[in-house]
Amino acid sequence: MADTVATAGAGGSGTRSGSKQSTNPADNYHLARRRTLQVVVSSLLTEAGFESAEKASVETLTEMLQSYISEIGRSAKSYCEHTARTQPTLSDIVVTLVEMGFNVDTLPAYAKRSQRMVITAPPVTNQPVTPKALTAGQNRPHPPHIPSHFPEFPDPHTYIKTPTYREPVSDYQVLREKAASQRRDVERALTRFMAKTGETQSLFKDDVSTFPLIAARPFTIPYLTALLPSELEMQQMEETDSSEQDEQTDTENLPLHISTDDSGAEKENTSVLQQNPSLSGSRNGEENIIDNPYLRPVKKPKIRRKKSLS
Amino acid sequence: MPPTGFEPARMNRKKGDKGFESPRPYKLTHQVVCINNINFQRKSVVGFVELTIFPTVANLNRIKLNSKQCRIYRVRINDLEAAFIYNDPTLEVCHNESKQRNLNYFSNAYAAAVSAVDPDAGNGELCIKVPSELWKHVDELKVLKIHINFSLDQPKGGLHFVVPSVEGSMAERGAHVFSCGYQNSTRFWFPCVDSYSELCTWKLEFTVDAAMVAVSNGDLVETVYTHDMRKKTFHYMLTIPTAASNISLAIGPFEILVDPYMHEVTHFCLPQLLPLLKHTTSYLHEVFEFYEEILTCRYPYSCFKTVFIDEAYVEVAAYASMSIFSTNLLHSAMIIDETPLTRRCLAQSLAQQFFGCFISRMSWSDEWVLKGISGYIYGLWMKKTFGVNEYRHWIKEELDKIVAYELKTGGVLLHPIFGGGKEKDNPASHLHFSIKHPHTLSWEYYTMFQCKAHLVMRLIENRISMEFMLQVFNKLLSLASTASSQKFQSHMWSQMLVSTSGFLKSISNVSGKDIQPLIKQWVDQSGVVKFYGSFAFNRKRNVLELEIKQDYTSPGTQKYVGPLKVTVQELDGSFNHTLQIEENSLKHDIPCHSKSRRNKKKKIPLMNGEEVDMDLSAMDADSPLLWIRIDPDMSVLRKVEFEQADFMWQYQLRYERDVVAQQESILALEKFPTPASRLALTDILEQEQCFYRVRMSACFCLAKIANSMTMPVAMALLRDVHNLCPKEVLTFILDLIKYNDNRKNKFSDNYYRAEMIDALANSVTPAVSVNNEVRTLDNLNPDVRLILEEITRFLNMEKLLPSYRHTITVSCLRAIRVLQKNGHVPSDPALFKSYAEYGHFVDIRIAALEAVVDYTKVDRSYEELQWLLNMIQNDPVPYVRHKILNMLTKNPPFTKNMESPLCNEALVDQLWKLMNSGTSHDWRLRCGAVDLYFTLFGLSRPSCLPLPELGLVLNLKEKKAVLNPTIIPEAIAGNPEAAVNPSSHAQLVGFQNPEDDHLAKEAACNMSAHQQGVKRKADTPLGSPLEPGQILEKNEDSSKVKLKIRFSNSQDEEEIDMDTVHDSQAFISHHLNMLERPSTPGLSKYRPANSRSALIPQHSSACDGTPTTKPPWSMELTRKGTGKEQPPLEMSMRPAAAAPLSVFTKEPASSKHSDHHHHHHHEHKKKKKKHKHKHKHKHKHDSKEKDKEPFAFSSPASGRSIRSPSLSD
Repeated sequence: MADTVATAGAGGSGTRSGSKQSTNPADNYHLARRRTLQVVVSSLLTEAGFESAEKASVETLTEMLQSYISEIGRSAKSYCEHTARTQPTLSDIVVTLVEMGFNVDTLPAYAKRSQRMVITAPPVTNQPVTPKALTAGQNRPHPPHIPSHFPEFPDPHTYIKTPTYREPVSDYQVLREKAASQRRDVERALTRFMAKTGETQSLFKDDVSTFPLIAARPFTIPYLTALLPSELEMQQMEETDSSEQDEQTDTENLPLHISTDDSGAEKENTSVLQQNPSLSGSRNGEENIIDNPYLRPVKKPKIRRKKSLS
Repeated sequence: MPPTGFEPARMNRKKGDKGFESPRPYKLTHQVVCINNINFQRKSVVGFVELTIFPTVANLNRIKLNSKQCRIYRVRINDLEAAFIYNDPTLEVCHNESKQRNLNYFSNAYAAAVSAVDPDAGNGELCIKVPSELWKHVDELKVLKIHINFSLDQPKGGLHFVVPSVEGSMAERGAHVFSCGYQNSTRFWFPCVDSYSELCTWKLEFTVDAAMVAVSNGDLVETVYTHDMRKKTFHYMLTIPTAASNISLAIGPFEILVDPYMHEVTHFCLPQLLPLLKHTTSYLHEVFEFYEEILTCRYPYSCFKTVFIDEAYVEVAAYASMSIFSTNLLHSAMIIDETPLTRRCLAQSLAQQFFGCFISRMSWSDEWVLKGISGYIYGLWMKKTFGVNEYRHWIKEELDKIVAYELKTGGVLLHPIFGGGKEKDNPASHLHFSIKHPHTLSWEYYTMFQCKAHLVMRLIENRISMEFMLQVFNKLLSLASTASSQKFQSHMWSQMLVSTSGFLKSISNVSGKDIQPLIKQWVDQSGVVKFYGSFAFNRKRNVLELEIKQDYTSPGTQKYVGPLKVTVQELDGSFNHTLQIEENSLKHDIPCHSKSRRNKKKKIPLMNGEEVDMDLSAMDADSPLLWIRIDPDMSVLRKVEFEQADFMWQYQLRYERDVVAQQESILALEKFPTPASRLALTDILEQEQCFYRVRMSACFCLAKIANSMTMPVAMALLRDVHNLCPKEVLTFILDLIKYNDNRKNKFSDNYYRAEMIDALANSVTPAVSVNNEVRTLDNLNPDVRLILEEITRFLNMEKLLPSYRHTITVSCLRAIRVLQKNGHVPSDPALFKSYAEYGHFVDIRIAALEAVVDYTKVDRSYEELQWLLNMIQNDPVPYVRHKILNMLTKNPPFTKNMESPLCNEALVDQLWKLMNSGTSHDWRLRCGAVDLYFTLFGLSRPSCLPLPELGLVLNLKEKKAVLNPTIIPEAIAGNPEAAVNPSSHAQLVGFQNPEDDHLAKEAACNMSAHQQGVKRKADTPLGSPLEPGQILEKNEDSSKVKLKIRFSNSQDEEEIDMDTVHDSQAFISHHLNMLERPSTPGLSKYRPANSRSALIPQHSSACDGTPTTKPPWSMELTRKGTGKEQPPLEMSMRPAAAAPLSVFTKEPASSKHSDHHHHHHHEHKKKKKKHKHKHKHKHKHDSKEKDKEPFAFSSPASGRSIRSPSLSD
């Protein structure tokens, strides 16, 4: 206990000297925070069983603690702003802690540890008085591990919940109705947005906003958009469509058919080739694959052999 | 139109039909087409052709070929330079100066112009002179090889370039080019004999960018890189003799798909569309199998290619061993609505491969056989694929179409015979165009022609049985394939041509039946039959007294004599009766089999053997007749109006199993809006086994009935509501749209959604408007607001998630136009105009243009009409141009009998120009312009034009004054004799005396129609000896020879526009050189003027036998003078009348003059100028010179299309 006093005393002296040096309120605030942190560090050290500590090491630890807390604050603020709020909530802090590698689950047990030291509340010069115009119900008292100088719980209606159980809507008609209107609203919102952001045409000269039509825009290759299914549709096709695949494999499983046809083609081709003896050399050795003239490799130009016409 | 002198004789010979007789003095056996360079940037093509021909007459000295647009650099025959002339009278049908604006005049002139270059009459635009060195060679009938170097720059027709303006190489951009055209249009992209009857074997070579593929006819024998490896050459051989008109080409960066079922079949499509191509063509092999099976004949070519291209001219075009399709026929597996349509196109093109490509036709008048057979076997395919119901429905639809068209326009003639001069009657005098040539036909007429052809083929089948029919086809095919394998016996190749008589002979050989009456009725004669039927039941005799009347006096009808089947459904069953329709008998007694009886409950046997229970309470207690049908098998091309009681129609609808009968009864029930009709219709509608098309029409009929019964409840079920649309209907449709959810559907619902928008549009009724208030948002009807909301959303969603072929956009545009038209939304074409721009999908453009056309009509907007006309002239897509004309014709801003502020002189001139010269590159377009002109102004001079200067004119023939025919509508049309008979015209010219000349100013104007006819012959007579009555194009071209004459105090001072003169001289001198065989071309060109002029007197006397030396152009001159100058001058001419010649004879001759001309030729040749020479020279002419050379001034061809003779130096 004496150590504690000693450290506290050391802290106290620091404050005093600081207050002497500057009377700036910001600095004051800074120093006060610093002093509180020093007290915290000292008490933690005492809790950990230290009897005394060098001033420099206390300072370092204080510095570390301050950085840590600042980081929690900064990070929590970002999280809360990310979700479009201005006041951080508990979950922001939790996420922050998790993010910083802190095991949050251990926190309650730590808070309720038996050997913990209670630090006296820092002196508050002028506590802001919250106007209590409307009080509803009795505020919950602090649990034992929370120091009493911490703010009170808010009004019970802000956190008390009464769970009720209702049948989920499964009526087909209602669901269809809902889905349809939702879809419609989404579509309308989307198209209106597109219309707002781009060029529009209107059916009414006097009013261009009630029925905005996205302006017609010519395409360089119009048939592509007109004929190809959209990506969305392609996706759906892939999802719903396994039968198509079967069909395709079916077509490949028709060796009989193909081979007969192929031989027909072959005959035809050879008859053509007989008339063009110059070509017969071109296709020997590619019998196994489909023989289609458009699939044959393009020939290199012949070396100065005049083509004879006729 | 006047037939040229030798034509009738040939035609007659052809009719005699001992095989095919070529109109040409040579036989083409082989042709090489080589295109070495294709430039997509400049849209140009460079290449050469080489034709191997065998002369069939000893004195062959001129060879006529077809060529349009092509710039010809050089012609060599057997390696010797040959002179040639290029003259295309179709470029500008009537000449600029002509103030004629009546369509009759134009149609005659156009038909004459087409005749003048018609390969089926042995004519052509390109006339090549055989070099004298080869004459001996020719006399021995030895082979000639004609080598022509040509290029093509920015072709407007024949070849179509599609070059998207994006980044990248041409291949990356998807640039492609393909051949297209209506009927024989190959001459647009290379010189050839552009006839379906001149067959030869082909070697085709195309050198293209290495990233591109050239697809053409026949077998691809090899593909070879050029030396720089940046291009490759595709070598094709087509060993089956084929007409040039069936040659085609498509070049582009195509994706290649070898058909998995038939490896000799290859499919091509534009980049990125391969998956669609796979799906679309996956069915083709079944069509192949079907045709090969029914025809018991293998597909005649060794390979087949399908190419799918953008901006197609027509959806389907069949060429030898290759078909070109519109890329818009491609579809993915999700699109089921398009599938049957695309398959029909594939089947159609394949049918034409057999009949149309492999088997070609002898002449234009045999076209119906080919179209008929291919249409008929396509019908058989349809029956097999889509079922009998669909087939019968289709036949009924086609029948209704042709009947409606013929009754409207007055007849479609399948086999026109243009015989000798005696037949003065034009077989198609009811039409505003000539049917002598495919190129003068209205597109709609041609469509109907094809429709009638296949229906008639079906009639023949009815007569001789399908088995015999298929045997005939097989016979034609096997004859042709035997002939085609005769490689070196080109005279055998004519077996591959089908003629009407050959076809009929086959039929009689195979079937042993005489179908001559049938042919006479439907093929040699135009018109359909119109029956009116009614009946009475005679209870005493138990006889049905049927009365069948015919209307054969209205236009488009003909009298039918022969058997007619009537089916009577009685209580005891269905009975067929065959009546003989004869001249006088109208009444037919048909004995009934059953006694009328009511009480016995017995099933009633139907035609198909089925027995059904019927509720007979509705029928007449005394009569056993349930219903009667006339010609149930549609074995006559007819329209039947039959009267029977409503309950009979209702029975027919419910119990007759034939879809055609059901449709007929639905149509008839429209006139009986009773609850019983409604019940019959709703029963059919709800009956799911019933053919869906019948149910659909029942639905529409129900709407009509419901309207006339004013039962809103019934209407709520329907989409098609006309009077006031009840709220329930709208809510219903809106709910359909709202709750439509297609997410789990494997197939696209775009067509369904489009239909629903159409339904919304249908529900729109005219706005109640007070004092024409301006339409604003505030006074928008709440229902319309809901509709607009939907349309806006759909149209906007289309921009984000476009539907297949933009069907939804199309429907939205239509719906918006409906809203505008009904006064809910301010009428404004701006939106449509933006959607009509090039770059939108073609279906959208057409829909938007349709709205603009409608706007033009409703709002009488001159500005929009101009905008449309501008598009007709300048749009890059030929199909769109054609379609605008077509839509304007269908929905004209005004018609000939209507007063309209739009109808003014400028518009007449504009349209006249459009059809006269603006559309010379596309037959279809030109005929479309003619149709539009006809719709707007009729056959005679448009009423909005000021009257011609002189109301009274002299009829030179009868020497009396008559009212100017241009004022009397159709007067000139009614007097075709003069136009037809050239000799009468020649006389007319011959007998003119100077006085007449001056009095006949206007007459000359009117006569120029006739002269036009003469001129056409004169234009091309290079090869043929001049005929009597033929005046070498002097008198007519008045209009061209711009003679500005100032008769100032009868002092002769004339200014002659030399641009025409020197050309005409070149032309004529060339003619003369050619006629005079012994001269060498090189010499003749520099021959002094007098030696040429020495020829002329003989020539002129030979040609027209006119004793007078009067320059024939004097008549024209006077006309010109009056036309241009003020009336007083006309009067002042009278004194001078006595000596019109003296006016000219005073001028001194100058030999320099002719030298001057030669000089010009030279220049032209070097510069390779286009046909029109713009430089004008004012030149003083001397009469002496003129006396010697009367032709010098008479150039008709001048300034048109004459290329000055290009001779080798």
